[in-house]
Amino acid sequence: MKAHNPAAPGALAGIRVIDFGQMVSAPYCAKLFGDYGADVLKVELPEGDAARRAGPFPADAPHPERSGLYFINNTNKRGITCNVATAQGRELFLRLLESTDVLIENNLPQRMRVWGLDYATLAATNPDLVVISITPFGQTGPYSGWNGYDLNAYHLTGASSRYCGRPGETPLEHGTFAADYFGAVTAAAWGLGAVYGRGQAGGGQQLDVSCAEAIAATFVGGQNIGCYAQEGRFDKRTGVGMPLGAPATIMPCRDGHVWMLALEPGQWNGLRKVMGDPEWASLDMFQDMYSRAQNADVIYEFLREWTMQHGKMEIMEKCQAAGCPVTAVFTIEEAANQPHLKARDYFVDMEHPELGRLKNLGAPFKLPASPGGPTRPAPLLGQHNEEVYGERLGLTAADVRRLARDGIV
Amino acid sequence: MTNPLPLKGIRVVNFGWVWAGPVVGQTLGFLGAEVLKIESAARVDMTRNLPPFADGVPGPNRSLSNHACWAGNGSVSLNLKEPEALELALRLIATADVVVENFGPGVMERLGLGYERLREARPDIILFSMPAAGLSGPLEHVRTYGLSLTSLTGLDSLVGYVGGDPIPVENAFSDPYAGIFGAFAVLTALNHQRNSGEGQHIDFSQQEAVMQMVGPAYMDYVLNGRSGSPKSNRHPTNAAAPHGVFPCRGDDRWISIAVCRDDEWQGLVAAMGSPDWAAAPELSTAPGRVSRIDELHERIAAWTCESDDHELAARLQEHGVAASPVLNVGDLLHDPHYTARGTFIAVTHPLGFRETIYGAYVKTSRSRPEVCPGPAIGQDNERVFKGLLGIPDAEYERLTRDRIIY
Repeated sequence: MKAHNPAAPGALAGIRVIDFGQMVSAPYCAKLFGDYGADVLKVELPEGDAARRAGPFPADAPHPERSGLYFINNTNKRGITCNVATAQGRELFLRLLESTDVLIENNLPQRMRVWGLDYATLAATNPDLVVISITPFGQTGPYSGWNGYDLNAYHLTGASSRYCGRPGETPLEHGTFAADYFGAVTAAAWGLGAVYGRGQAGGGQQLDVSCAEAIAATFVGGQNIGCYAQEGRFDKRTGVGMPLGAPATIMPCRDGHVWMLALEPGQWNGLRKVMGDPEWASLDMFQDMYSRAQNADVIYEFLREWTMQHGKMEIMEKCQAAGCPVTAVFTIEEAANQPHLKARDYFVDMEHPELGRLKNLGAPFKLPASPGGPTRPAPLLGQHNEEVYGERLGLTAADVRRLARDGIV
Repeated sequence: MTNPLPLKGIRVVNFGWVWAGPVVGQTLGFLGAEVLKIESAARVDMTRNLPPFADGVPGPNRSLSNHACWAGNGSVSLNLKEPEALELALRLIATADVVVENFGPGVMERLGLGYERLREARPDIILFSMPAAGLSGPLEHVRTYGLSLTSLTGLDSLVGYVGGDPIPVENAFSDPYAGIFGAFAVLTALNHQRNSGEGQHIDFSQQEAVMQMVGPAYMDYVLNGRSGSPKSNRHPTNAAAPHGVFPCRGDDRWISIAVCRDDEWQGLVAAMGSPDWAAAPELSTAPGRVSRIDELHERIAAWTCESDDHELAARLQEHGVAASPVLNVGDLLHDPHYTARGTFIAVTHPLGFRETIYGAYVKTSRSRPEVCPGPAIGQDNERVFKGLLGIPDAEYERLTRDRIIY
């Protein structure tokens, strides 16, 4: 790997971003811009981003400056407060937008309207501004006025009904903010495209990102909608990784779980070899992936007898060496300590005034000529008020103190 | 609305196959880039042969799922085993800004298309590579499928019912996720290219990109040493309750309800008709509700199970409660919200049949993306080889006859 040159300017150097979001979708989208060198300013209401109250906290003791969720999604940003619900606060916010390239926000549309910060107002303030609005349902359509969170967006996509959970039991999300992250990444790609091509397109614009729609379209729709439209039939979750071929599912082993996959003949033969060529595996009904799936109960029982005698890493290493794509199901702890990711410098050390020295996930992808990743910790609430209001709007320290007294910042 | 799209004038040569790589091209295509997938009838992509097929007629240009996932990519066909085909690919790359590929590490080099070779064709080229676990490191050659890649990130250990084993997600959520994410990575490099004049070879490990989604659970490990376990539909940082999916009237009908603020709880209580049990003082705060989440969810399920999912969601919304029906695939096409937003659209394929795919799933106020149907193999051959590269007709005929362009 090429040595990184930390002095090289980031790929997005010169792009000014305001993150006026909370929790995951907008903050993570803005973090991606910040990872690669954009100048990102986090603007919080006086009570702060709700992520500050969401944890996880060290020893589960709530503290607005010790939230792990806030920490991980707000690196490389400077932070100010601004009460946009007041006339003066709104005025300051709009003045900041005059010298900004991108606004990233995830407030419900009705909330932005109540604040007088609808897109028409923002565009009148700065016609070149790219406004990235990320919401569960979007700015238009019958559900655009609904209250909603990540969970509601995810379950509106068809993904849980189709792909996750046992038949007849509760459809599942993925144990994280899957819809918010998907929406954030979608918004980052389309939003950066709009910034990059602003000259070409003739100015700024609003990008209306619905987390639900992005998943319903690209994940669920891509694989299923053509079939349903033409044939009027559709499938639902089965609780098994791949119902039509086998083995292809998560199975228990001696010390956890493995993702068992052996579909093509070479993969199956590799698995047989690793298992020591047991007699059952030579039965006719196990010689192709479809007939193995038709006899799933039998084959999974046989396989389980073997996996339960072996550890996940041993199974993974031996299968991979035999050309069979079995992987260990890493726990979070195992994922966080992988030699592979350490060798690639995926984990970085950071210093935070309240959390101390701690590990963080590094850059999501490697740009050798213009490396990225988190280097500065998430801001404390209002940490950069004086600096930013001074630099961007020419306010004096005394001005900022007065604004603080009046509850504006 | 005739403003040019933001990436008009950018040309992308896409060697991407299966799902994630083509989605990188599709995303850049929605933004206005010209994307040319290079593929060959000599080795047809497996997803081109996935049923169902348009009008029920099998064929590599008729797979409905393939078309939806690849729409927006153009297609030129080159049999890269032939030296002349490789030369044509390099001539095309010399006119391009970006090359995309999602093979394993080393495959592009073996094809004669490694980064150094591409730089000879075009010094400021951006090569975007997205192998499963990156271009280097102990797991560089790990074999995974899209749907099992998440096992290497810790994410799979969080999916399932509380107290039970992990449940597999039955398709590759990480493919469209990494594909769209990859388009962002390409754009960062394009911006750097504009600023500095230099290209680069992007090392996009799907494992690392997808593991970013595990951030909240990773922080609980960093701060508290806890490793996490299957969460059902509970809040990822256990900061809210109720937070789940509850049964409704009918077969496999459900509603999602998330209560993150105290005023939303009061709304839910009012919607339920203020039952006595809900008046317990500790339930008025989030920590109190989280500590009694099992009991709370049982009570709510007993209340939701007689209601219609859509009606109940609308009623809860009137009380300010975040709730939505849990849609199945069949619901998507006719759901009034997706219909109003034009999420799914019927298009006519160059071969004449109609198919339903997804359109621009992000709404842009200034420039309207074009929606293209899924490409037929080699549909752009004449335009690209004769028009763009200036190959004379007779030569083009020979290259086609000799299965170089194939």
